Amino acid sequence: MAVIEISSLTKTYNETTVPVHALNGVDLQFEKGEFTAIVGPSGCGKTTLLNMMGGLDAPSSGEVLVENEDITRMKAGPLVEYRLNNIGFIFQSYNLIPVLTVEENVQFIMELQHRNKKEVRDRVDHLLQVMGISDKKTVRPKFLSGGQQQRVAVARALASKPKFILADEPTANLDSKSTDTLLDLMAELNEQEQMTFIFSTHDQRVMDKAKRIITMEDGKVISDVKVSN
Amino acid sequence: MLIQIAWRNVWRNKVRSLVVVIAVALGLWAGVFSDAFMQGMADQQIYSVIHTKTGHIQLNEPCFLQNHDLQLRMDHADSLTSEISAMPGVAAVSAILQQTSMASTSASSAGVMINAVDPDDQQKVSDLYTMMVAGSWFERSTRSNPIVIGQGLANKLKVKEKSRMVLTLQTDQGEIVYGAFKVVGIFKSQDSEYDKLTVFVRRQDLLPLIHLPESTATSITVLLNNTEDTEVKMAELNSRYKDLQIQSWTEITPMLQMMSSAMTLTNIIFVGIILIALAFGIINTMLMAVMDRTREIGMLASIGMKPGQIFWMIMLETVFLSITGAIFGLVASILMVNWFGRSGIDLGMLAEGINSVGFSTTVYPGLSTAMYAIIACMVVVIALIAGIFPARRAISLKPASAVRGE
Ligand SMILES: Nc1ncnc2c1ncn2[C@@H]1O[C@H](COP(=O)(O)OP(=O)(O)OP(=O)(O)O)[C@@H](O)[C@H]1O
Ligand SMILES: [Mg+2]
Repeated sequence: MAVIEISSLTKTYNETTVPVHALNGVDLQFEKGEFTAIVGPSGCGKTTLLNMMGGLDAPSSGEVLVENEDITRMKAGPLVEYRLNNIGFIFQSYNLIPVLTVEENVQFIMELQHRNKKEVRDRVDHLLQVMGISDKKTVRPKFLSGGQQQRVAVARALASKPKFILADEPTANLDSKSTDTLLDLMAELNEQEQMTFIFSTHDQRVMDKAKRIITMEDGKVISDVKVSN
Repeated sequence: MLIQIAWRNVWRNKVRSLVVVIAVALGLWAGVFSDAFMQGMADQQIYSVIHTKTGHIQLNEPCFLQNHDLQLRMDHADSLTSEISAMPGVAAVSAILQQTSMASTSASSAGVMINAVDPDDQQKVSDLYTMMVAGSWFERSTRSNPIVIGQGLANKLKVKEKSRMVLTLQTDQGEIVYGAFKVVGIFKSQDSEYDKLTVFVRRQDLLPLIHLPESTATSITVLLNNTEDTEVKMAELNSRYKDLQIQSWTEITPMLQMMSSAMTLTNIIFVGIILIALAFGIINTMLMAVMDRTREIGMLASIGMKPGQIFWMIMLETVFLSITGAIFGLVASILMVNWFGRSGIDLGMLAEGINSVGFSTTVYPGLSTAMYAIIACMVVVIALIAGIFPARRAISLKPASAVRGE
C-alpha cells in the first residue's frame, strides 16, 4: 500500500510579476520503507514538491493522499496537528531551537504531542544513542558541528514517530565525512525500522545511497528509477 | 517548556534586550519616584493641614462658618468637649472661640482671625506650638493678656516678642470693646498666608472681655488617632449631635481632598504615558526579534507548533522582557522612595515659593502599596498589549516561505 499518492499536482506562484509554474503535473507514489532521493537542477521544484507533501503549502491543483487522506484539503488547524503527528521534517539549516539543549530539542516535539514524561525521557535517550550524540545531550546546538546538528534534527524527526520523514537537502551544508555519517545513520534507520525517508539533494554521494531516484526538471518528473546497491 | 523557551529567547540578543530592560527600568524609576515625590508632598500637606489647622473633624453651630456671627455660639462647649474626648479613637479635643478682628499697634493695623483657645487643649490638637520662631506657646506668664501671632502678621505690624497690641473686639450685642495683649510667642507655620492672619489668645482672657460665660466657644476641633477613621467618627458624631454642623477635614478644605484624588489620577496618567512611550520601544525590539527569527519560527510552525503556541511564546517573551525591566525599575524606586521617605528631600533653595502655598520645605516621598500594585498591573497590561503586534507578526509567517528564508 502506498503511504503517499500524488496525482496531477501543480503549483503556480502568482505573487511574482510573471507566474512561476514550479510544479507542472506531478504524479508519484511512495511506499512504506522507501529511501528516495529527489534530484534535479536548481529551481526544478524539489523544495516545492516536498512542501506540498509535508502540508506546508497548498498546491494550485491536484491532490496529495497520505494513507488515503487528502492533506491538501485540510484546514490550517488540523493540518498543523497532522504534521506534528505524522510527518518528520529535516531542513537544510535552522532545524533546531538555539536556546534549547540537544536533549530539550528532541523532547520539545514530544511535549508538543503531549506524550508522557517517562516515554519522552526513554525515547530521547534512545534516539540520541542511535544518532551517536549522547555525549552532547546538555549542549546547545551552536556548540555542535553541522553534521552533529543534522543528526539531532534526525533524532527530533524520529522522536515524533512520523509516517515518513521529508528532508530538503539535509547534507547541503555538510562536509563529505559528515554527509557519509548522516547518510549511513539514515540508511540504517531505514533498514532496521522501515522508516520512510524522502529527501532532495544535489549531492552525488547521497544519490549513491538512495534506493530510488526521482529526477525532476521544470516542475516535472523526467525519470524515476529504482536502484539496487 | 514554552515558558522556558520564551525566557531564554529574551536573553539571546543580550545587548538588545538589555537596552529595553534598562529603558523600562529607568522610565519606571523616574515615573514612580516622581509619583512618590508628588504623593509625599500631597500627603504631607494633608497631614500638616490636619495637624496644624483643621484637626480631623470640626463641630459648629449650623451657619457659623458662613458669617462667624457670635450669636451662633455653643454655650456648653466644655461639656461637649469632655463628652467627645471620652469617645474611643479620639486623640484630642479643643474648644475654640473664633472672631474676626482688627489688630493695631502704634505702627500699623491689620485684619486678623482671633482663635481663643485653652492653650493646653489646643496644643494637643495642633502642632503649631512646635513652630515657634520667637517666644513660646503661652508659657510666659504676663500681667496683661498673652497673645501668640503668626510671623507674617508680626512683620506687618512690626511687633516682636513682648510687644503690645490692641485687638478690636465685638460683644454678642454688637458692642465694640478693646483689649490689650502682649505678644508672648511668634509662630511660622508652612502656610505663610495663614501666618499673616492668625492670632491665638486664651479663651479665659477673651470671654470676660466680650461678656460671655466661661464655657462658650464657637467651634470644637477633634483630632483622631487615625485619619482613616474620619468617616466612621463623622457618622458617630452626626448621630449624637444632630443639631450641630459637623465637618470632616475633607469638607473643611475640599481643595485638599480634591488635590489628593487628582494627585493619584495624575500619577497614574504620568506613569501610563511613560509606559506607552516604552511600549513603542518594546514593540520595535520584539518585531526585530521576530524578523531575525523568521526561519526558526517557520521551522517551529512546520514541525507542528500551533499558531496559538507561537503567539504565546512571543507574548511571553514580551512580558518577560518588560517585567524584568519593571522589576529593576520598581525595586530601585522602592529603595529610593524608602530612603528619601525617611531622610526627606530638602527643597531649601526653592523654599520661598513653595512655602507660601503651604507646602513644607522638606519633602518625604511616599507611595501607597496600592499604587505600586496599580503600576505593576499597568506594566503587565502594557506588555501584553505591546506583545500583540510582534506575536501576530510571528503567526502571520507562512511556514513554507519562512523556511525558505523569505
Ligand atoms: N514563494 C515563491 N514565490 C515565487 N516563486 C517561487 C517561490 N518559491 C519558489 N519559487 C520558484 O519556484 C521554482 C521552484 O523552486 P524550488 O525551490 O522548488 O526549486 P528547487 O528545486 O528546490 O531548487 P534548489 O535546488 O535551488 O533548492 C523556482 O523557479 C523558484 O524560483
Ligand atoms: Mg530547494
